[in-house]
Amino acid sequence: MIRGLWDRETVAALLLICLMPLALTWLWYGGIEAAARLALALVISGIWHLIFMLARAQPPSLAGALTALAVAMLAPEELGLARLVLGITFGSVAAELVFGGWGRNVVNPATVTLAFLGFGFPAAPWPELVLPVAWAAIPGAVLGVALGVLPGRILAGAGLAAGAAYAAGQGTWPAGLAPVLPMAGVVLVLLVCDPVASAATRPGRWLNGLLYGALVVLFATKWQGAAPAQIAVSAALFTSLAAPLLDEAAITLWRARRRKHLG
Amino acid sequence: MMPFITRNAGLDIAIPTAPPAPGVRRDLLTDEAALVPQRAERLRLDMLAAEGALLPQGAPVARLRDHPEVVLTAPMAARLARVRLGPGRQLVELLFFHEPQAGRHVFDTAAARSGETAAIRALLQGTGLWRLIRSRPFGQMPRVAEQPAAVFVMASDTRPHAPDPRVILEGRGAALDRGLAALGRLTEGPVFLCQGRGAALAGPGAAEGRLQLLRCGTLHPQGLAGFRIHHHHPATPGAPVWEIHAEDVADLGDLLITGHLPGLRTVSVAGDALSESRLLRCQPGANLRGLCQGATVPGWHQVLSGSALDGAEATWLGLRDRQVTVRDTPRAGPRAHWFARALSRAARPLPIIPTAALDQALGSLLPAMALVRALSAGDDETFSRLGGLSLLEEDLALADYVTGASPRLSGLLRAALDRIAAEEGL
Repeated sequence: MIRGLWDRETVAALLLICLMPLALTWLWYGGIEAAARLALALVISGIWHLIFMLARAQPPSLAGALTALAVAMLAPEELGLARLVLGITFGSVAAELVFGGWGRNVVNPATVTLAFLGFGFPAAPWPELVLPVAWAAIPGAVLGVALGVLPGRILAGAGLAAGAAYAAGQGTWPAGLAPVLPMAGVVLVLLVCDPVASAATRPGRWLNGLLYGALVVLFATKWQGAAPAQIAVSAALFTSLAAPLLDEAAITLWRARRRKHLG
Repeated sequence: MMPFITRNAGLDIAIPTAPPAPGVRRDLLTDEAALVPQRAERLRLDMLAAEGALLPQGAPVARLRDHPEVVLTAPMAARLARVRLGPGRQLVELLFFHEPQAGRHVFDTAAARSGETAAIRALLQGTGLWRLIRSRPFGQMPRVAEQPAAVFVMASDTRPHAPDPRVILEGRGAALDRGLAALGRLTEGPVFLCQGRGAALAGPGAAEGRLQLLRCGTLHPQGLAGFRIHHHHPATPGAPVWEIHAEDVADLGDLLITGHLPGLRTVSVAGDALSESRLLRCQPGANLRGLCQGATVPGWHQVLSGSALDGAEATWLGLRDRQVTVRDTPRAGPRAHWFARALSRAARPLPIIPTAALDQALGSLLPAMALVRALSAGDDETFSRLGGLSLLEEDLALADYVTGASPRLSGLLRAALDRIAAEEGL
């Protein structure tokens, strides 16, 4: 039988290409320390993929590199090697590999790793991103939407939520939101737009983006003393947990309209 | 607006093929033709002609044991060369050799011409045209007394290298109108005529004013019956929907007037293992090697009945197929290392990732990922809630191709339909 292109590994490779501008900019500004973190995350993630391949015949995936990149960029700093290894292990194994690998997981493994590290070790400071890294996320997002591997409706929904917040503040950002925006944008592209762990229906994706945007605005304005990365990762985690519900709502709506339309 | 509708969502699949042969369309009867069952079709037969008998084209050859009204007819003027029946007299193969001097069988169509419903049904069943109708859900020949909730006449086909229905129907407008009118008698619901761009193939007054013209997009899978049925008149076990190709309806129209069963079907022969692609008219059940004779290039190749997306390797032209694909098959390479083979054989199949490509492959007409998940999980309830009962294997062939799904979605769909059919007691 003839086969087309769009199997799991093609999608993972394209996502990786889309995130290249972001990753390279981050490495450029982060220097040797960033490179070491990325290498560590890649090695640990790779080891777990290898173990699951040998033990359970589960084909390894390039998506492991996506997880490693997100963790290296966003994980709290000054954790030490052991805690970082523990966090990545927990995220990769408990959120992805035991479900059968990327494509069968429910929540993005990087989101789980980051939430685990952030809430487990609250004393560790969250990383800050320099502004050019956030700008570098934009070309990647555009490329991903053009190729159809990143859901554009989630980006649009989040943009809509941000626009609504801007309009509600009469042309200014609500207090506390402006410094969070670059990090929220990077997390949106890295974690929220993961095609597997986000909503898969069209209205569901709009809602998914809107929910993420609304949560970011809520946390930024009401959560005293939270770091931008903490706010964005928490919003990403809750959004990801709500995604199946949003899909279910979208399908119910679709069926109701279909019944009406078909009589 | 329904949120999942876009008018022409789909994909333009570039399947390589040879340049077309000169001329528009020629008639080619192969020396051999055969009547064979469809996949998983069980036809218990009583033979009406003996092995070696000379049969005019269209003459009854056999009838169904359980429903003697339904008759199989000779695809061409031929000698019945071999009768192969399996246990319980199930059809395995009826082989015919072309004998042009045997002439054509004449049917009595006076009663059907007067518009009498029972006579039209009897004519369809007695001429073998009944078998060309496909009833959804489940995609089998309609039951003998089945009354469809709607009829979809397909004058559109967006599969790669499918013959253009407008070329097929050129000059057959009157026959199509007569066929539509007769077909309209069999249902009290609407008759949908699905066609692409261009002048309307039939007026709105056809089929007692119950004809509705549906314009299909040009991208695959917009021209497939499954998605049109899913969108306009979903099929359910209690209200089956029929689907038939417009050429067969025009054949019915001609049959009503002349009493002869038109025995030619337009078929496109394409593929990258050919020196020229062809547009032919041949008999039903034609020998595929005969259709591509003189046009294949040397080397290993595969002959499929059907398009490159949904075709199956075959010797005889499939019952409802209008395409033959001849494809290069790469010779098996050197054996992989035992470790790599062990890993790939033990590996679980890769899951499908929701992408825009998958969405387009289902025409953006239904929540694609929800359907894929329901199929993979064997969740038949969600599957039917999403309208999956209107679909058949061919409708998911494009999604299979695009995602390289394993196991194939069309196979999962067939399994789900079989389970539901068993539950319905069919």
